[in-house]
Amino acid sequence: MRPSQIIIALVITAIFSGCTNLERSRSLANPATPATAIAQQVCSNCHGIDGNAESPNFPNLAAQQESYFIAQLNGFKSHGRSDPAGFEYMWGLSQNLSDAQIAGLAAYYSQQKPKATYQAKMLAPSAEGKKIFEQGIASIGVPPCGSCHGAEAQGQATFPRLAGQHSDYIVKQLMVFQRTDQRPEGGIMKGVAHLLTAQNMQAVATYIETMPPK
Amino acid sequence: MLACNALFKRNGWYRFAAGITGLWLVSMSAFAVPAFNRQTGQNCVACHAGGHFPDLTPYGRLFKLTGYTIGKSVLPVSVMAVASLNKTRSATSPDPALNSATAFPKDGNFIFQTASLFFAGRVTDHLGGFVQITYNNYDAQSPSDSHWTGHTTSDNLDIRLVDRFMSGSNDVIVGATMNNNPTVQDVWNSVPSWGYNVVPGSSGPASTPLIAGGLAQNVAGLGAYVFWNKGVYAELSSYRTANGFWSFMSKGFSVAQGTQQILKGENPYWRLALTREWGPHNAMIGTFGLNAKVYPDPADPTGQTNHYRDTGIDGQYQYILDPHAFTLSTSYIRERVDYADAVANQPHPLDPAGLIGLPLTNTQDTLKIFRAKATYVYHAKYGTSLSYFNVTGTSNAALQTSAYDPANPGVLLDGSEGVAGNLSGSPATRGWTTEAFWTPVQYLRIGLQYTAFNKFNGASNNYDGFGRNAKDNNTIFLYLWGAY
Repeated sequence: MRPSQIIIALVITAIFSGCTNLERSRSLANPATPATAIAQQVCSNCHGIDGNAESPNFPNLAAQQESYFIAQLNGFKSHGRSDPAGFEYMWGLSQNLSDAQIAGLAAYYSQQKPKATYQAKMLAPSAEGKKIFEQGIASIGVPPCGSCHGAEAQGQATFPRLAGQHSDYIVKQLMVFQRTDQRPEGGIMKGVAHLLTAQNMQAVATYIETMPPK
Repeated sequence: MLACNALFKRNGWYRFAAGITGLWLVSMSAFAVPAFNRQTGQNCVACHAGGHFPDLTPYGRLFKLTGYTIGKSVLPVSVMAVASLNKTRSATSPDPALNSATAFPKDGNFIFQTASLFFAGRVTDHLGGFVQITYNNYDAQSPSDSHWTGHTTSDNLDIRLVDRFMSGSNDVIVGATMNNNPTVQDVWNSVPSWGYNVVPGSSGPASTPLIAGGLAQNVAGLGAYVFWNKGVYAELSSYRTANGFWSFMSKGFSVAQGTQQILKGENPYWRLALTREWGPHNAMIGTFGLNAKVYPDPADPTGQTNHYRDTGIDGQYQYILDPHAFTLSTSYIRERVDYADAVANQPHPLDPAGLIGLPLTNTQDTLKIFRAKATYVYHAKYGTSLSYFNVTGTSNAALQTSAYDPANPGVLLDGSEGVAGNLSGSPATRGWTTEAFWTPVQYLRIGLQYTAFNKFNGASNNYDGFGRNAKDNNTIFLYLWGAY
């Protein structure tokens, strides 16, 4: 390559790289980055472009309740939510998000259409889980999940949507509620989770994951 | 200590006329760095399977393919250091000329081996990079008093210009890469740069194809790639000698690295990979290759070249679901070399006058390497790995660094090398490496490796003519790796 070609290449590089197209930015420290760009360019890497996460390591966000979503991102940002999934992956990503960006992300994901997970296609629905979800376990005081999360597990306000969520994620979070104080905003779940056995958790999580996407 | 080096060169002739001892492995490897951690605020486990660098997670691959640009701009600087102990099974030989201190330097001693400085991270929304500069504490040994001297050189470099277009269900990443080591730009751990013997100082096969490190930091590459819908990756690059304007990619060429290779013109590299993620699983199957023309004598880069055609197929499978992370990667590379007239059909190096009838050097060679590695990490702290390597290829008199004198059966020619010697002229080397490691905090890793050679330089027993066996090169390798 001749020096003139190198100079041209460098100039083009400088122009191209210097141009900030916010619609395709991956900057998490620029309050001008649109929420849609953040969702597509960054969040989609784990949660899917439409909020349906392929890996059960990451929760589905499609059709999630906006109030719950905002509370979680603010929990990550303030370090109020400190479970491993939170601090390992989300503390850093959320630390510079503005309120408007968080609200925009909540709106983006609330409008996405849920899909069945890979695992759901292979799991048999759990009758025990369905019973716990719909009726609770009266003998030990476990309330029906549906009483707060909705009859179809669609969630309401700060009670998250659960329908179609990865069962692995549900079980891990129930364990967090049962054994730790890493999610103080979900304190109401601590008492419930305390009453559940590992088998109960797996059963209800399986039922939730196999609920048909709506 | 056994030290193998694919860059070992003999008079600028046959690149893979590899020896073993007297050289420290300067593995031109690099790990992702804490600067990325500070940029994204995420832990190492986000990008590395079980936090085990350099194995990338699906997210880590996307982070790299989008030019290291996710996150916020921070001071893009990191440092790394490796201290290690290498102990060879046998540091002695029937070779009366063997000097163990020279052939196995520092064997059994815990030493500070290398340190690196990184500039790594986002520059703009579309531009980011990874630049490593490495200090090798044991670069060269004074012939007079055996005193070791250190040296600083350019190490891996990968600068990217990237954009990503997303709409509906379409997701297209397009990018350009500028780098100095074929396959260093790749995102799977089955390719040579990132798959095997990644920890500086670890042992492995001596003879490897050109694409497996033979041009690392010798060349400057420019390429373009596309990653479509997280399913298809395609790349086309071109490599040329990193001299002149491009010499910043090969600064400080050192004694341990040997002489810089000089390539003729532009040399194409290509890569195609199909990948899929399902649930906690992800897999890739791919192919890659390099077509390179290298002058046999870097001091005289004129005339005919040695023509290398390297073609590889590779695959990878991962299962990642906290607290488990499992990565299985494998590759098979076939290399065909057509030699320039200046080095083909030449008299045996130990018989330059052709007086005793040893065969002439080959006009063409084939070298094949199969490697596979499985790694499991639990809770991002405790891990183990097992890898296998098998090098085969044509025998070539040019590789024969030991030879019997035909006129005196049973007597080795003067100049035959013990320990590093090769009696058969075959590059065939086969063995296993197993490792256990512990990552108490994400900035520190302690590992213990054991490499066992079943075959070395074409034979299991008496590969050098002096009675040294392949297993004598078995190596215990203990390392302490830290980065910040």
